[in-house]
Formats: sequence, structure tokens, C-alpha cells
Amino acid sequence: ASAVASSNSGEPMEGTSGSLNPTTDTSGIMPEFDPKTMRSSKPGLKRLFITTSVLFSFLLGVPFLWKSVEIYRSPLPFHDIDSLSDQIESTPLRFPCNFHAVFVGFRSTDADNLRSQIQDGINQLTHLSPQCGSCSFSLSVTIQNPAEQCSETLGHNPSSCSYRCGMIKSNDFGVGLDDTVDESLNDVFSGCSANSRKMYSVVVVNKENANGEDEVKAVVGKRRHAWIVGSGLEERNDDMVSRVSEIFVKMFMNGGRDEDSIHGEFMPVGSDGRIVLSFSLLNSNPRDWVYDWDFQRIDDALLAPVTKALAPIANISVESQVLYHTPKSSFSSWDEQLQSYIFRTSDLPFFVNSNEWHLDTSAGASGRSKILQFVVYIPSGSECPLLLQLPNGEISKTNGFISPMWGGVIVWNPGNCDKDSESPIRNTISPQDIEQIVEIFLGQFRQLFGFKSEAIYTSVLGTYKILPSERGFTEWELDVLSRKHTCFNLHSCSTTLSSLSKLVRSLPRMIIKDEIGEQVKYSLKAAKLAQSNASLGGYSSSASSSREARSLAENAFFHPSIMSVSYFSYEHCFAVYSPFFLPVVAHVVLAALREWKRYRQEKAKYLTWLTRKKTA
Amino acid sequence: MKILMLVMLLCYSFASSSGDTTIHTNNWAVLVCTSRFWFNYRHMANTLSLYRTVKRLGIPDERIILMLADDMACNARNEYPAQVFNNENHKLNLYGDNVEVDYRGYEVTVENFLRVLTGRHENAVPRSKRLLSDEGSHILLYMTGHGGDEFLKFQDAEELQSHDLADAVKQMKEKRRFKELMIMVDTCQAATLFNQLQSPGVLAIGSSLKGENSYSHHLDSDIGVSVVDRFTYYTLAFFERLNIYDNASLNSLFRSYDPKLLMSTAYYRTDLYQPHLVEVPVTNFFGSVMETIHTNSAYKAFSSKTSNSKINSEMPLNQLSEDDELQKANIPNDELKTEKQKCPYTQMRVDLQEKLEKLENVDTVVNLSIAVMFIVVMVSSSLL
Repeated sequence: ASAVASSNSGEPMEGTSGSLNPTTDTSGIMPEFDPKTMRSSKPGLKRLFITTSVLFSFLLGVPFLWKSVEIYRSPLPFHDIDSLSDQIESTPLRFPCNFHAVFVGFRSTDADNLRSQIQDGINQLTHLSPQCGSCSFSLSVTIQNPAEQCSETLGHNPSSCSYRCGMIKSNDFGVGLDDTVDESLNDVFSGCSANSRKMYSVVVVNKENANGEDEVKAVVGKRRHAWIVGSGLEERNDDMVSRVSEIFVKMFMNGGRDEDSIHGEFMPVGSDGRIVLSFSLLNSNPRDWVYDWDFQRIDDALLAPVTKALAPIANISVESQVLYHTPKSSFSSWDEQLQSYIFRTSDLPFFVNSNEWHLDTSAGASGRSKILQFVVYIPSGSECPLLLQLPNGEISKTNGFISPMWGGVIVWNPGNCDKDSESPIRNTISPQDIEQIVEIFLGQFRQLFGFKSEAIYTSVLGTYKILPSERGFTEWELDVLSRKHTCFNLHSCSTTLSSLSKLVRSLPRMIIKDEIGEQVKYSLKAAKLAQSNASLGGYSSSASSSREARSLAENAFFHPSIMSVSYFSYEHCFAVYSPFFLPVVAHVVLAALREWKRYRQEKAKYLTWLTRKKTA
Repeated sequence: MKILMLVMLLCYSFASSSGDTTIHTNNWAVLVCTSRFWFNYRHMANTLSLYRTVKRLGIPDERIILMLADDMACNARNEYPAQVFNNENHKLNLYGDNVEVDYRGYEVTVENFLRVLTGRHENAVPRSKRLLSDEGSHILLYMTGHGGDEFLKFQDAEELQSHDLADAVKQMKEKRRFKELMIMVDTCQAATLFNQLQSPGVLAIGSSLKGENSYSHHLDSDIGVSVVDRFTYYTLAFFERLNIYDNASLNSLFRSYDPKLLMSTAYYRTDLYQPHLVEVPVTNFFGSVMETIHTNSAYKAFSSKTSNSKINSEMPLNQLSEDDELQKANIPNDELKTEKQKCPYTQMRVDLQEKLEKLENVDTVVNLSIAVMFIVVMVSSSLL
């Protein structure tokens, strides 16, 4: 077999070594050597090493590449979010309330019987399934007979605010103003509001000597107590029991309303927990007359207490403006009988003239606060006086109306409607008129929160007079607001967080910034705090923590970086990187494979030569 | 029997708790024109005509978000500068007065549009550019431009896909940003844009079906381009017959579209919308009817006090204002004092400045000081 030219094999380095190596000649008989199937030297590993090292370095770089295209996702506590929403859905939040009934001037000594009667009455009135924000109550009864000896219900928690016998005398009632009675009762019961458990009390006073009057008077005070005064009440026991349970349920639990839940459109708190009250004084035709108001005084004296009272529920700020040339867009007609211009309730939806009334010019309100507009409209000379006629033909006492979640309008007629022929004078609204306007505004403000604007409650059993407070809301009304708002805020917070977690899980390639993770964490913490405060009975603290929880959850959900349009799918990522890496990777892998195949071939060749040598 | 009652009670309580009983509080309108360039004049005119209609029927500017992708009124090719017409008779100038455009020109992008719908703005975005609706709002969403099968073209550069729109609507519904939503689309193959919608409370109408084009109504030979699209033209014709007090129903609006006149089929889907169209007045979406409740009485927080209280309330107020004034007067003095204590160097400079200002003849001082300086230099150099 003649030696084939080594260049044909394509391996110039080793092809000729077999035939040139003289060492093989010393062995004696030279075995038949076929360079195609044999080689005399062990194949080196250098080539294989070089190619596999290139491949290996590529493989080493893959984790770094992976890390560099990794999406940063702040870890959200999905499990905690789910458990919070389950908790809120399954167990409606209930607050502990203490109810205490004191019967003064009653001769019976069976307090337990009365207690069970009142409890039955309350259960009857709250027969529906417990709503979120309702009270889980504990009831205690004290009876004080005319000799000032008391019998109390047993098993009553011996807390620091047990009623001291003889503190309430039946002579205190029926004499003097209701306000003074309220204050004196406050002194009696004031020890109880010091600790966190709020105690609501009803005092039923049976007066001995009747001056021929048989009426029963029921008054609900400004703090947390109410009283019923009358004579001959012991005989009307059932009536008294049902009136007491009505006060407990309809007043102290539901806030003087018939339904026990407030709808969302009567919770005008913005999602960042702020409300902006924007007051506007509208001079419809300044050529007739121009009115101004001293708003700084109004704010300091009359609005500041209201703002402070509602601080746990919402952070309220107040702003005001005076506008000119602001006609209304509905029409009014002259009524000869009433000698004034009349507009009806059917005109109310068209009263606000949004084209000419530039009300929403607030620069101070951020995007998520709620703005409530309160407009005082002064009609022009051609429509003065302007009165609102109700569907039943009566004239409205307030000349005002509200629109839920928007605000309220009051039409205020100037004192006399005579136009001065000279140029209009600038008038300031007098303090008495200001007080009247602010009273109507307070009524509207209460309506916007779901309460009634009048301070009286009528039921089949009788009427209850409610003492108005200069803070706009009595303390028990504020308690109701705190409870309902806590509920609403927690519910809103949990739905927002679960929507956020669903959204985040559905977009696996979206960047979640640290800020979002932190806000979710703090929101969950605030929600837990609100729940624990609620179970302890701290109404205002749970309201403010729940408000914080809701605002943080909304901030996290509405974070501007969560936009599905901005994030690309896996296919897109692949399409971006493959033109760079695929050609190179293909070559490297193929080269490594080829080298490996060649090494095996050469190895096999060497082995066959070795065996041939042995056999030869 | 009892089980049936229980089930019904549960269903009722579930339905009432799911929030279907929210009342309708206000109306919003989002009007979007997505096309650029002069030859798309008609899309701008469409949007401005609808803007004028909803304003006339009562929706105020603060509840309208108007997005116009280009400026036709001040375009160099406009023969009638600052005027936009939707009819060749030029009777109505749509750009006349009180037009408030919220997003204009290059701000009209898919991203901004979706940000408006979902509410995810940067903190600095003003209130007038946000859709501040709540759970009682009815929203009218009108889009016009060039579209195709499951997409709408924005600014000739990007597309809004039907699944993006459906996703945004789903997020809006989850966050309770609307009670009812009406989508009206005037593009080619408009009905495909709301194919993927699944959220309840959405009513959608498009000017044409898949495979059909929507045509313009007529060409204005004066301006040189078509000035209005057919679908919008017939919609406006319906609304010109209405005023703020009318209550024509949505059904009559939808029935007024004649396929022969439109040259396409106006398709609407009501499977996600519960109320019957015959009972829904058009002003539910196109107008603004405020829900009003009369205030029965004032809350007599102040009149329970006697008349002395008014005087009392006046006096403390005066005292308060005096105290405020005193405090205000005190504060600057305190600030000055603290400043003096803080920095002796500035104090020295201030003193020096005051002295200098008191000098009458500054020139002599300057001359004197130059002379002194000269002498000092001479002395010091001679010493060296």
C-alpha cells in the first residue's frame, strides 16, 4: 500500500508522522499501516480543549445574560393579601358597644327581667344578619327606686364606670333647658368614656306627681346618653322597653337612620383620605348688587370645630371664592300669591350652570382627594326673591339642595329686593345671616354623609328630639360614622389589594418597583391595626388606621409604572436577542461537536493500530 | 319551601351587597380623535361635534376629557383659520368658544389614553387631565379615526388593540370607576374593537362590522377635504332635535341608523348591559342630569344658644384676630433676633453696609482710603 499523500486526509499535522517516525522500524516486522484507519500516536486533546473551552465560556456567560435581562419584581405578600380579603369577606367586622339602661323612680327590683326584655327588643330590631360595622353589645340595667336604692343586673362587668346610686335625681329633669340636663348627665356618665370601651346610656325617669300632663318626652343628647321623662311610666312597661331598645338600635347603632348601612355614594371621602370643602359665593348679576363674606371668620369660628371633629374620618381642608356674573341655567316663574319667583324640585337637576360657574378651580386638591362644592347663590334683581317650591306645594325652609358626591347649593335672597338706581354697593353678609347659612350648610354636610339634616327622629312609638351639636355631629353620630367608614375603608383596601395581586400575577414580565411593595406592606399593617383597634373598641383610632390602609392600597394600585402596554412578552424578548446570539452559538456548538467527533475517530484509529501491533 | 325562601333571601342579600344599588351620580365623557394630518379633518370635526353636543346637553368641561391628535383649526392649510366646520354650509363653527382640549397633539398616545382610562397618572398630572369618575358615574367613550380588524390606529404610528381596551375596561370595572360605560366607535371595522370586552355594565356601538368600511359623508369643496363621517353625521342629526329636558331613549337612537344611508351596518352589543334600551334615556350618557335631594331643614347648632352668644362669638373673634396680629408682629422680631444670634459675620457686614449708607460724601472716603493704601504699600515694600 503506497503511502497516500497525507494532504488528502485534511490533517496536515499528523498525517505523515506515522510513516516518517523511525521508531516503528526498530520493532522488526512493520505491521501494515493504513493511515486511513490507523494512527500511531495518541491523538492530542488540544483541539478539543480549545473548542470546548470556547463553548464552555459561552455557557458560563448565560447566567450573567439571564440576570441582566431579569425583570425586577419586588416580592409582594400575596399570601397575606389573600388571607386579609378572606378574613374581611367571611367575618364582618363588629365593634364592642356597652349599653346601659337606668330606670329612675321605678319601684320594681327585677333588673334581670327588664334586661332580658330589652335584649329581646333589640334582637327584634336587628334581626337581619350582622352587617359590617355593627355593634356586638353587652347590656346592663340599673333600677333606682324613689328611695334612691338600686338594684342592678348580675354578671355586669365591674368596671370603673358603674353607676353610683343616687347620682341621678328625678328632679333634675323637666326643669330648665335640655342642654343643662345633657351637661349634668354628662357629669354622671363621663367616667366611662375615659377608657376605650364606649358606654351608651339611656335614662328613663318616672316622675311621681303628674301636673295633669301625660306626655312622654324623649331626648337624645350630644354625647352618648339619652333620656325619657314622663309620668306613670311603670304601668307602660312594654312601651318603655320598646322605646329604650329603639333608642339603642336606631340611634346609637344606626345613627338616626332607618337602614343600618351607608351606601357608597354617601361616603364622600377621597381615596387619599382627604376632602376639600370648596365654598363659592355666587353673585348672579353684580350690576344689581354685590355681596361679600368674611370667610376667615366663618372658617375660624364655625367650620373649625366641624373639621376637627371629623379628623379621624377624613383630613378636611377648606377653601373659598367669590364669583361674579354667574346666572343659573334653569328658569323660574313669578307667583302672584307668594309675591316671589318660584323654582320647583323638577328644575333642581338643571340648576347648576356648569358653563358659567367655574367652581372646580381648586389648585390645592391633589388628584385623589374628593372636592365637595358648596355654593351660596344670590339671585339677580330680576329674580328676587327666589324660593323653592316642593312637590306638595309648600315653600322650602332652607332653599337648598344637595347632589350626592358633588356638594350642595343654597339660594340666599338679599334682605330687600329693591335695586338701587345708582351703582351697586358692596355689601357684606351680616353675621346673623352667615350663621343661618352655615346652619343650612351643616344640614347639607350631614346629608352628604348619609345623616338627616333635621334634629328629630320620628317612629311609630313617638318622636325623639336630638340635641344639635356645634360640631355638626353628636358624639354618638361620630361613632357611627367611624364604624361605618372603618368598614368601608377596610373592604375597599382588601378589594384593591386583591385586584393588584391578580394584576401583578397576570403580567409576569412587569417590573414591580420597591415603592409598590412597601406601600402594600404598610397597607396590610395598617389594616391589621385597624382590625385590632376595632375589636378593642377604639372607634376613631380604627377609623384613622383604616383610612391610611385604604390610601396606601390605592397609591400602590394606581402607581404609574403599572402599565401593561410597556412590558413585553417572552416572545418579544426572544426576538430581540436571538439575532445576536443564535448565529454565533450555532457555530460554536457545531465546532465543538465536530471536534468531539474527530477526536473519537482518531482515538478509534489509534486503538486499531495498537491492536494490529499487538497481533502482529 | 323554607329552603326556597332562604335561598331567595341569600340571593337578594348577595345582589344588594354586590353594589348594583349604587345611584347614578354624574356623567363623564372621554372623546378621542386619533388621527393626524390635514386629510383626516373629518375625524377632528367628528370629535368636536360630539363635544359640542354633550356640552349643550349639560356635561360640564370639568367632566369632559377631550383628546385631539392634531390641530385643524390653526393648520396652515385651513382656509378659514380658527374655524372648524362639520358641514359644507359652514353654519356651525365648532371651534368657536369655550373649547377646552385636555390632550392635544403628540400627547394623544395609546399610553396616555390607557392611563386616562385606568387612572394611573404621575403625581403631577393636573385634575383636569384625569378621569375622576366614581362608582356612580356613567361614562361615554367616543373614539374616531382609522381602524381595522381588532385595532385602532393612533397618530399613524401605533395601535390600540382590542385586548388592550378590554383589559383597561376590566381594570376600570374592578376598581369601580364607572357604573355604566357606553363605547361609541366611528372607524372602519369598528365593531371588532369591542370583541374582547367582558365586563358587565358596558354598552358598545360601532359604525361598521368586520370587513366593512365606514365612509365620510360629504366633501367640502371649499376646504378641500371631507368634513364629517356618516355615522357621526346621523348621530348629530338625532341630537340636534333634542334639548336638555327631553328623554328620548337609546333604542330610538340606535334605530335611527339606516344601513343604506350609512353604507355600513351600525352594530351594537348589549349582552353586557342589563337595562333595556327602550327604558334608558339618552341623557343617561350624553347629557347630565344631577341627582338632587332637597335639604329639609337647617341643623340648628347655633340658634339653640341665646342671643348673647352671638355677641360672645363676635368678641372672642375680635380677640382672636388681635392675638393673631400680635403674634404676627412678634414673629418677625423673633426671626430677626435669632438671625442676629446666628451669624456675627453677616451682622458685621450689615452694620458696615448701614454705616456706608449713612455716609454723605462717599468720594472723599474712597480717595482717602486709596491714599492710605498707597502709603501702606510703600511702607511695606520699603521694609522688605
